[in-house]
Formats: sequence, structure tokens, C-alpha cells
Amino acid sequence: MSEPKPRPMLVIGAGIAGITAALEAAEAGREVVLVEREASVGGRVLRTHHYFPKLCPPSCGMEINTRRLERNPRITVLTATTVAGANRTTGGWSVTLNHAPAYVNSRCTACGECQAVCPAKVADPFNLGMCQVPAIRLPHPNAWPKRFVLDRSACPADCRACVDACRYGAIDLAATPTTSTLEVSAIVVATGWQPYPLDKLPELGGGVLSDVISNVQMERLAAASGPTGGKILRPSDGKAPTRVAFVQCAGSRDVNHLPYCSGVCCLASLKQAMYVKEQLPEAEVTIYYIDRRTPGRNEDFLLKAAGMAGVRLVKGKVGKVVQGENSQLALTVEDAEAGQLLHDRADLVVLATGMMPNLATIPLPLELCRDTDAFVLDDSKGRIFAAGVARRPEDVAATVRDATGAAAKALAAGRGV
Amino acid sequence: MAATSVLLPSADLRQELTRRGAGDVGKCYQCATCSSVCELAPTQSPFPRRQMLLAQWGLLDRLAADPAVWLCHQCNDCTVRCPRDAKPGDVLQAVRSLVIEKLAFPAFLGRFVAKARATWPLLLGLPLLFWVALLGLTGHLGVPADLQAGWAYEQLVPHVFIYGVFFPVAGWVLLASVVSGRRFWKLLGSGGQRTGSFVGALAPALGEIAVHRRFGRCGAAKPRQLGHLTLLWGFVGAAVTSGLLIVGMYIQHLAMPLPLSHPYKILGNVSGALLVVGGAMLVGNRLGDRKASGTSSAFDSFFLGVVVLVIATGMTVELARLADAASFALTIYVVHLGAVMTLFLTFPYSKFAHMLYRTLAMVHARLSGVDSPR
Repeated sequence: MSEPKPRPMLVIGAGIAGITAALEAAEAGREVVLVEREASVGGRVLRTHHYFPKLCPPSCGMEINTRRLERNPRITVLTATTVAGANRTTGGWSVTLNHAPAYVNSRCTACGECQAVCPAKVADPFNLGMCQVPAIRLPHPNAWPKRFVLDRSACPADCRACVDACRYGAIDLAATPTTSTLEVSAIVVATGWQPYPLDKLPELGGGVLSDVISNVQMERLAAASGPTGGKILRPSDGKAPTRVAFVQCAGSRDVNHLPYCSGVCCLASLKQAMYVKEQLPEAEVTIYYIDRRTPGRNEDFLLKAAGMAGVRLVKGKVGKVVQGENSQLALTVEDAEAGQLLHDRADLVVLATGMMPNLATIPLPLELCRDTDAFVLDDSKGRIFAAGVARRPEDVAATVRDATGAAAKALAAGRGV
Repeated sequence: MAATSVLLPSADLRQELTRRGAGDVGKCYQCATCSSVCELAPTQSPFPRRQMLLAQWGLLDRLAADPAVWLCHQCNDCTVRCPRDAKPGDVLQAVRSLVIEKLAFPAFLGRFVAKARATWPLLLGLPLLFWVALLGLTGHLGVPADLQAGWAYEQLVPHVFIYGVFFPVAGWVLLASVVSGRRFWKLLGSGGQRTGSFVGALAPALGEIAVHRRFGRCGAAKPRQLGHLTLLWGFVGAAVTSGLLIVGMYIQHLAMPLPLSHPYKILGNVSGALLVVGGAMLVGNRLGDRKASGTSSAFDSFFLGVVVLVIATGMTVELARLADAASFALTIYVVHLGAVMTLFLTFPYSKFAHMLYRTLAMVHARLSGVDSPR
């Protein structure tokens, strides 16, 4: 007698955590529905220039993952989809999904004719709003599914330029949102993170001074698909900086902001110091830190970056960043090892902001067990398991291991139903 | 032989700090945000990050010799921004009270006032009892039957009593302050080379105090600066008035009480008004935003309480005389004399001593060059 076929597993969020959990569960034999809020998969990892541990561009690793998603018949990927509601059933969950209007459907070939005629411009969400893009566009060069998106709210009244330009009939300006329901055995929450908002750090110039940027913005500045085509330039005047300052723990390990350590910002800043030195060998880079948290093999990376000529590490958290003379920024910090105040200058200040779980600001209609910082805890009884930064701040490698574990737990919880 | 430095950690310091409202000192993780946001920290020897570490390590002897402890005005910019809520402003405030106790002469009086939470009834009660006894034994606890309207306080309490008590008290307080001040000056000298004359540095330091230049740079506790400055000038005005009254009585032979229009009286009343306004501002500040104003320990509250009592009874005494309520006036006057005596006697041991120590620290900072302007 064969066991009844288990219901599929739902994975919420198709960043590196959700993709990994979905692939692991599917490759173990389970049907998986992977839902993603955005129009394409890849999440935050795709927004980095290079990532750890090998410092390669994320596109190649993500291409392997999307190939695996494509080829696996047990995985259904639903992009532009959010969870609207969920009810606990004896066998798991009954989930309602919202599908955003498909203004551009699967007939799209990404030829770009529509983009060429689109008159409307919007702030590019993929580039964190650092540049303008047409309202209809490919979300980013590595988008999967490779399909254009349309920001309908930006369309001028009665404009049909893109519809007229499209030779494939892929654009429907009258598309409406739809809903569907789904019976699932267990849920993996892989909803990821967002950077801690810069404008909560005005004392460090965040949201006040245009040459004070966040570490995630620095990734975009260094990336070829970024707003500057990969050139590290000051947002204010478009000039290459000669002095770059990294402010560690900006809004992290701080009871007034995020009380925890995100665990990745030290390495991210060391990595970004290398971006700067590779492009601008003459630039002076200073990293102001409380502690240099580079556990395990990452210690080697710290020593390598710290040993580079023109890279200085100063123990002391920056307390103030204000506009200085000659269009430079003025930083105040105590060099705690020397016991002296430094009044340093920089052309560009990068705030190493931490990771805040998306669930801290974006509600998910699920009864979740969460800690005081809005990170999700596993709920075996409720058959909800967390993966990646939805569970705790961690790097890509840890996220992949973590997501594999979450898939295993969700598989076990949904077995025999 | 290389110079060695000896660390003398005190295991009790943490408990002492906790008792004085600075129990969060252990939360500090030395990020140095505090030093970088402090508007008063000198570039070459910033505070309070280093002092937080010394406090965690129990090195009270180092803290006692550190001018930074007194250059701090508890603006609380550090406390507001501290990512660990370790409240450096409160810690330095508690350290100051410990230093006052440590350097007190005689030591037992320092301990006695340091325990104001328990000893305040005695600190206030004993001087009051003294006046009641003195006046009672000399038959001055009642209003004379022949008191005419327009009476002066000398007809209730002869001036000889005031002089007989307060001149020796002042002398004693001066002696105790000189001993403690010398101890402190020696400790400061052990930490840094001084060049220049004391008086030459004292004058600009007093100039700074006169306008509260440092205090004015405070961020979070800026409202306290105005209250403190008002109170300071109220006390200065009251002291000058007292001196002028002695001149008026014994050289100019003026009849007491002076009319309200007399310049000395005007100065006295303006000073009184400054005291009332300044005192109210400081009390209001304490009752407001706790993080910006700091934690009030019993040590702080005792001093502020005595100051408020002196001001309140002082003003009431004048009003009672103007209202010709002699019996009520005498009662309040006795309380006033007791409170003033408490204020005087506890000067070297209470928070009042910050006047002595902070001034010396500011002079030292000038002479040792640690306090270069930012």
C-alpha cells in the first residue's frame, strides 16, 4: 500500500534562503510552491557587487540556482505574489495568495521595444532608488523570470505607447489582481531583510548629507549594473572620492536602534574597502569600528584588508558626521587605542547599517513566533520554519546551510499527511 | 629600572556606584560614542569612555586623580546617545560623589554626608536643634512683648548669635576645604605636569564659571545651564548683600530693616528672585526627561533639597517680616538658620563641594595643557 502523496510545501520569499529551501525540499521529493513578492527572484544577494566567501559576482551563483528552479518539475515559482491569508488545517495550512496584476505577461521576450518608447521614469527599486529607469523595464540584467515589469502608477493618463510598441501582445494595461488558494503541508518563512533606514541616523548624516551612503548603496555603486556603471563616485558631485570612511555599527548594537549585531557588516566594509582600493588605488580608506568581528577563516580576510596600503582601521565608533569644509564631510570619533579625539575628513562616508527583518515593517498574515527583534522562531507544532535572515542576521553561506535545515524540518513536519 | 604603574582595583567600587545610581556602568562596551559626542571633551584626553573603563575596573584612585571627572558637567549627551544605556553621565556623577567622600576631611564626616539617604534627618535636624537649644537657653525662642511694627530681625535673634555661630562654622568649613582641596591638588599633580601660576590660571577659570562657558556647550542638558547660572549668581548676590549689610550696619550705621528702595535691599531682593527662579528651574529639570537630566541619587537630592529649603525659608522670612507676622517669622527664621548651617557645614562633603573640585580641576587643566580648546 503506498502512502498518500504529501501536500506541497510553501516557501515564502525567493531570495537565497527561499530558493535553497525550495530546491532542497524539491530535490528530496516534495512538491514546493515558492512565492516571491517581487517580479523576479534573487532578493538581496543579487543586489551585491561581490559576495562572500569567494568574492564572486552573485549573478553566476544565482544563474545556477535559477537553472535548477527551471529544471525541477516539483517547484512552482509564483513571482509578484504575496500571502494574503492562512488558516491552520489538520494537514497543514490553507493559504490564500494575492497575485499582482500581470501588466506584462509570459509572452514577453525582453526585447526592449516598450522601454524605448516609455515616457515615464521611476526611481529604480533594484538600485535602491539611486537612479531613474523607465516605468516599463527589465528589473535588472539577471532577472528571472526574464520578463519586463511595469510600474503602472507611473503611467501618464491614456498612454499606450508600450502596448503599441509590443509585437508580442505581452502587455495588458487593464490587468487586475487575482487570488488563489493552496493547501500546503508546512511553511518555510524566508522573507529576508531590509537595510536599517539611513534616515534614522541623522547624527551620522544619514538621510541628511548626500555623500553619506549605506553599505548596500555602496554595493550598487561598485556593481556594473549599478547607477554609475560600477564606478565609485560621490552622489553629490559625481567625483571619485579620495578619502572614504566606513562607520561600523551604524544603528547596530545600539539600544536606540537595532540592539543586535548583524554579523556581516565588518566583513562587508572590509570587502568594500577593497572595492575602493581596486578602483581608486590612491584613495585613503578608514574603517572606524567597535570590534572587528570576523570569525573563523574570515580572520584571514581581515588581515589581508588591514594590511593594504592606504587602509586604516581605527577603534572607535563615530559619534558625529557633519558637512565640513571644501565639500568634505567632518567626522568626530575617539581613537580609543590612542585615547584621542580625531576630527577626520572624508569625501564619502559609508554607514555600515545592519539587517532588519522584513517582517519588522511588512506584515505577514500568519501567526508567527517571533523574538523581540521580529526574527522568526521555528514553530514545529504550527509547521512554520524560518530560513535565512528571517530567522537571524547571517551571511550567504550560513543562510544556505540554515535554509537546508529549514527544508529538512519542514519535510519532516509535513510527512505522512 | 623602567617606571612601573601599580593598579589598585577596588572590588567594592561597582557596588558603590550601583548604590549611587550608576549601576549600569557594567553595560559599557567601550565603543567611545560618548567621547565623540561630548561637547566638553578635550581633544588630547577625551572623556568619558576612559573613565567608564576605570570605573568598571574599580580604579577609584585613578578616577580621584583625573581632572576629566570634574571637567564633565553632566550634559548627558553621552547618556542620550549611549548604545548600551550605560549612562556615562550618571557614572561620572556618582564617581564625583565618591571622590568627595574619599578626599573628605575628616573622613567620618565625608562618610556621614555620603549616606545622605539615611542621614538626612540628622544632617538637617542637628543644626536646627542647635539653634532651638541656643535660642531657648538664652530666652530668644519667643517674640518680645514690646515688639513694635517695623521691627528688625535683630530684635528676635541678636546678631551676635549669628556671628558667633557662623564665623566659626565658616572657618571650620574653610579649613576642611583647604585640606581636601590640597589632597585633590596633589592627586591631580601626580597625573600631569603643570606649568604656570595658580592665580594666573584661576582668573580665567573663574571667568569661565561666571558665564558658564563650558556648561553652555552642553546639548541634552542645556536647560540646566541657565538654571545653574541663575542660581550661582543668586548666591553671589546674596553673599555680596550680606557683606554690604555688615558695612551698612557697622560703618554706615544704617537703621535696620532697610527700606525696600535701598540699593542693598534691591540687590538682596534681586538675588532672592534669581535664587527662586534658578532653584525652580533646576527642580523642574530634575522632574523632567530623566535620560537628559540624569538619575537623581540621594546625594544629589539632599544638596538640591537643602538649597531649596534655604531659598524658600529665606524668602518666607522676608515676606513674614513685611507682613508683620512676628511669631511665624521667628519660626521660619530658626528653620532658615538651621538650613543655612547645614548648607555651610556640609559644603566640603556634599555635592556643594563640586564648586571646589571643579574649579581646581579647571585650573589644573589650564596649567597642564590637557584642556586645549576644540
